[in-house]
Amino acid sequence: MTDDLVARIREALRVVIDPELGHNVVDLGFLYRITVDQGDVRIVMTATTKGCPAAAFLREGVAASTAQVEGVRSVDVEMTFDPPWTPSCIEPAVRSSLGFANVN
Amino acid sequence: MIGGTLSKWTMSYFAIAITWLIAAEALMAAGFGFPAADVAAADTLVIVHMVCIGWLSMAMCGALFQFVPVLVGKPLFDERWELPALVLLTAGLTALLAGFLVLGGRLPAGLWLLPLAATLLAAGFALVVADLGLTVWRARPPVGPAHFVLAGLVSLCATVALGTGFAWSLSGHGGEELGKVLATGVPLHAIAGLGGWLTLTAMGVSYRLLSMFMLAPDVDGKKSRLTLAAGSAAIGVAVAGGLFAIEAEAGLGIVLAAAAAFGLATFALYGRDVAALYRNRKRRQLELNTKMAAYGFASLAAAALLGIALVATGSFAAHVGAFAFLVAFGWLSGLVLAKLYKIVAFLTWLETYGPAMGRLPTPRVQDLVAEGRASKWFAVYFVSVWGGTASLLFGQASVFRGAAAVMTLATAGIVQELIRTRRLADVAEPLRLPNGTQPPCLLYSRT
Ligand code: HEM
Repeated sequence: MTDDLVARIREALRVVIDPELGHNVVDLGFLYRITVDQGDVRIVMTATTKGCPAAAFLREGVAASTAQVEGVRSVDVEMTFDPPWTPSCIEPAVRSSLGFANVN
Repeated sequence: MIGGTLSKWTMSYFAIAITWLIAAEALMAAGFGFPAADVAAADTLVIVHMVCIGWLSMAMCGALFQFVPVLVGKPLFDERWELPALVLLTAGLTALLAGFLVLGGRLPAGLWLLPLAATLLAAGFALVVADLGLTVWRARPPVGPAHFVLAGLVSLCATVALGTGFAWSLSGHGGEELGKVLATGVPLHAIAGLGGWLTLTAMGVSYRLLSMFMLAPDVDGKKSRLTLAAGSAAIGVAVAGGLFAIEAEAGLGIVLAAAAAFGLATFALYGRDVAALYRNRKRRQLELNTKMAAYGFASLAAAALLGIALVATGSFAAHVGAFAFLVAFGWLSGLVLAKLYKIVAFLTWLETYGPAMGRLPTPRVQDLVAEGRASKWFAVYFVSVWGGTASLLFGQASVFRGAAAVMTLATAGIVQELIRTRRLADVAEPLRLPNGTQPPCLLYSRT
């Protein structure tokens, strides 16, 4: 049941894109951890650059679209830059289409 | 922090700045000021300050209001100072230009305009410096690029102080001491303005923007501190040493030579830092803004080489106009235009689609621009700037006017692209304005 909810949340979060990279936060590997406790959802996520004004909107966006998922009672989103995001977090299929060197 | 992430008046600063740029370019194309008139002629001063204050300083202030809070991770000290500063600067610049026209005999007597202008400009810049300085102070100790901004703001204060002194002196109120500074100290004012305020600030901002938009690791703090130390030494030696030399009636030669040596070291160190950013970037494909910024960096390198060649052949004084033109239009304006192209798209995206994120599908920032079209205007811009520099070096005034006309056209082309971005004209339906989003206003941001 919990796994199912996490899967549905991840699916819902595909609508949230990083405006710079143009891909959704799921494929980009921005979501570090999603934990669910009886409908109370806690998400730990990151963004490419600390202090970037888009990061605040990303966080809000993740919270907003999670809240719309059926079965979610409350959402708490934490933004962290530790560990920092690197392109190796990206889904391999998406990585080359973004023009990232594979060595990273 | 959402409301605090967008600066309401940054777009207004940009709009006014670009208007001054186009006006200055059109005047150059019409043959007003240098090279038809002397470098120090009143007409030239009109153009110089339209470009230095109207275009470059306004664009820089607008960008800093948005950028410094991002840099230090704290909201701007007081957003309500942005608009009064814009009004004071615009009024002050208008009065300054009128004062220069009086000085050149194009307007009837009214030299009191100069001290009035200096007072308005000083008040406007004081608001900017205080607002930004207090923002950095909130986040003390300042980090990396914030140091560059602080050094830039200190240089701005020095520039304005000297300019104010000149203005009083030219209006006949300065007394003997100020007269001495006016007689030989103009290079100090120009170096503090173009070199200290505009160049050091642009360097600091570029470190952060380049690493953000190319996903490159930040420049090592030790390295950028060394770059800044060399740059501050160049400006400090030029201004403080210069004033001392003027007071001692010793001539500026040695002081300016020492400042130039520090200046060259700064450019070399900065070149090393920027090369590392491009080399270590994780995003391989360059966007238009980072490609065009590279032409700005190339112009800076070319200006450094040109400076060395002119000094070596003893012809720097004869060609200082060409040198300053390349610094102002190739390096500073080139970099600012390239970054504006990105910043406008980015801020427009945040303003329009940021609040809809997670609720609706949104376009990418890149969907707001048409780089293919814009790159042609940028290419025309840089080629005409380099052609203009060459025509000045070879004393071809009419070729220069042609180059200025082409620059005007290219700038207008870039502006049209910026307006299309603001109007979301290139965003494909149905993503353009889904229900619940509002189109942005052209000249300011809703926050
Ligand atoms: C309060 C603001 C300012 C005032 C009142 C002012 C005033 C002046 C005056 C009176 C001169 C001419 C001195 C002479 O040759 O007789 C001058 C020259 C110059 N100023 Fe300013 N200025 C101000 C701000 C700035 C800023 C912010 C910059 C650059 C960022 C700047 C760049 C220059 C340059 C490059 C020259 C030399 C121009 C030439 O000789 O052709 N000024 N300024």
